[in-house]
Amino acid sequence: MADPLILELQGLRAGYGEIQVLWGIDMAVRRGEITALIGSNGAGKTTLMRTLSGLIPMQDGHYFSEGRDLTGDTAAQILAHGIVHVPEGRRLFGAMSIEDNLLMGAYSRKASRAEIARDMERVYTTFPKLMERRNQAAATLSGGEQQMCAIGRGLMSAPRLLMIDELSLGLSPLLVEQLVAALRTLNAEGVSILLVEQDVTTALDLCHSAYIMDMGRIVRTGLGPELLADPIIRDAYLGVLED
Amino acid sequence: MLAVQVLINALVLGCLYACIAIGFSLVWGVLNVINLIHGSFIVLGAYLAWGAYQWLAISPWYALVIAAPLFFVFGYLLQRLLLNRVITAPVLVTLTLTFGLDLILNNAMIYYFKADYRKLTLSPPTGSISLFDVVVPVDRLIATASALVLTGLLYLLLRRSKVGRAIVAVRLDRDAAVLMGVDVKSIYAIAFGLGAALAGCAGVLMALIFPISPLTSSAYLGKAFVVCVLGGLGSVSGALAGGLLLALVEGVGSTLIGPAHATTLSFVLLIIFLVVRPQGLLGRKGFE
Repeated sequence: MADPLILELQGLRAGYGEIQVLWGIDMAVRRGEITALIGSNGAGKTTLMRTLSGLIPMQDGHYFSEGRDLTGDTAAQILAHGIVHVPEGRRLFGAMSIEDNLLMGAYSRKASRAEIARDMERVYTTFPKLMERRNQAAATLSGGEQQMCAIGRGLMSAPRLLMIDELSLGLSPLLVEQLVAALRTLNAEGVSILLVEQDVTTALDLCHSAYIMDMGRIVRTGLGPELLADPIIRDAYLGVLED
Repeated sequence: MLAVQVLINALVLGCLYACIAIGFSLVWGVLNVINLIHGSFIVLGAYLAWGAYQWLAISPWYALVIAAPLFFVFGYLLQRLLLNRVITAPVLVTLTLTFGLDLILNNAMIYYFKADYRKLTLSPPTGSISLFDVVVPVDRLIATASALVLTGLLYLLLRRSKVGRAIVAVRLDRDAAVLMGVDVKSIYAIAFGLGAALAGCAGVLMALIFPISPLTSSAYLGKAFVVCVLGGLGSVSGALAGGLLLALVEGVGSTLIGPAHATTLSFVLLIIFLVVRPQGLLGRKGFE
C-alpha cells in the first residue's frame, strides 16, 4: 500500500514577494479523512491552499503526497497528482455554462470521453440542481448552486485530495447542511478532503482531525471532537457560545 | 431605393469590419494586449493575396487557406518569443512593443512593395448580381460570406472545442484556469496566433475590394479599435454587432453629409460610446 499520508508538509514557507505569510508549516494529513483547517482571518489559510495548489511558489520546506515529492512542482503537475483546489469565492467561469465549467474541471485529464461523461453523471447525481441548469451561465446561479458547481468542477479533476476554501461563506444554514452531507458522501466514496472553514462548529463536527492556524503557523492539532470540547478552543473561536 | 442600397452596402461592409476587428478583440480580451501590429497583419494578408494571384496565379479563395496557417504560426511565434517576455508588464510596455513591431513590419512592407496603391483585379471579373433591385458585385458578396464563415468558425472554436474553452476560461479568470491545469502561456500564444490568422484572412478579403498599400494599415487598425469599443470587447457577437453598426453609420453618414466625413463620424460615434456606454453594445459591465 502507498504512503498513507495524502499531504505531508515539512517547514513549508511561502508568501507574496517580500511579504512572508507562512512561517514553517508542518502537517500530516491522512488519506481517506476529512481534515479541517481553521483559524482567524489573516492566519494564512488561503495562502496555504494557494501554495499547495501551486498558484504561488514555495520559498522553503518540503511537500509530499503519498510518498511523492511535489516540492516546487507547477500547478499542472500538482493537479495531475490529484490535488485539487476549490478556491475561495468559487471562481467559476461566469459567462460559461455549468456544463462547460465542469468540462474545464476535466481539462487536463487524459481520460476518454466516456469516462468524463460518467464522472459528469456522478456530479449531476450528487448535485441534481446542476443537472437542471446545466446550460445556464454559471454567473446566474445562486450562491449555493455556485458552490455546488465549484465542488463539481473540482470533482471533474478526479481528485485524490479535494481542498475546499470557505465552504459555507455567504450560504444559508440549510444549504451548508446539504453541502456537508454531500461532502460526507464523497468522503465515504474515498475522496480525501481538506476543508478551510470559518464556521468552526461545522468544521470540527464534520472533520476527523483538524489543524488550527494562527499568524502563519500551525498552533494546535487534534481530533475534531477533542478540539470541539477543548475550553481554550471554545474560548478563542466559539467564545460567544459559552454560558 | 437608395435606402436599400445603403443598407445592403452596410451589411456587406459590416461583416468585413467584424472580420477585421475580431482578431484584435480576441487578443485584447484574452491577453489584455492592445495589438498595434494588427493593421499591418491585415495589409500583409492583402499582399499575400495579391502576390499569390499576380505571381503564382493562385486565386484569393485558395490564398485564404494558405494565409490562415501561415499567419497563425507567425503570430504564435511572435507571442512566444517576444510578447511573452513582457506579458506581465504594465500595459504601456506591451503597447510600446507592438508599436515597435508594427513600425518594423510596416516599413519592411514599404521597402519591399513600395507605398504605391495596388489593386488585385480578378480576370475574368466576377461581375455583379441584382439583389432587391440593388446591384452588388459578386466578389464583394463572396468576401462578405467568407468573412461571416470565418467569424462563425471562431465562434464555434471558442464555444465547442477544448482549446476554445480554455481560451475563454483564461480570459474570464486566469488563476482559476491555472487551477484547471491550463498552460496559460501556450493559450496566450494560441490566442495571438488566432488573432494573426484572422487578420491575415481579413487582409486577403480586403484585397478583393480595396486598394492595397502599407499606408492603409492605420485605417484598418482604427476600424478594429472602433468596432471593439462599439460592440464590446472580447466576444464574437460583439465584434459582429460593432462592425454592422459602424458600417451602417458610415454608410448613412456619407450618403447624408458626404463620404469625406465617414471617418470623422465613426470616431464621433466612438467618443459618444466611450462616454455613454463604455462596455459597448454587447459587452458586460465589470466583465474585465
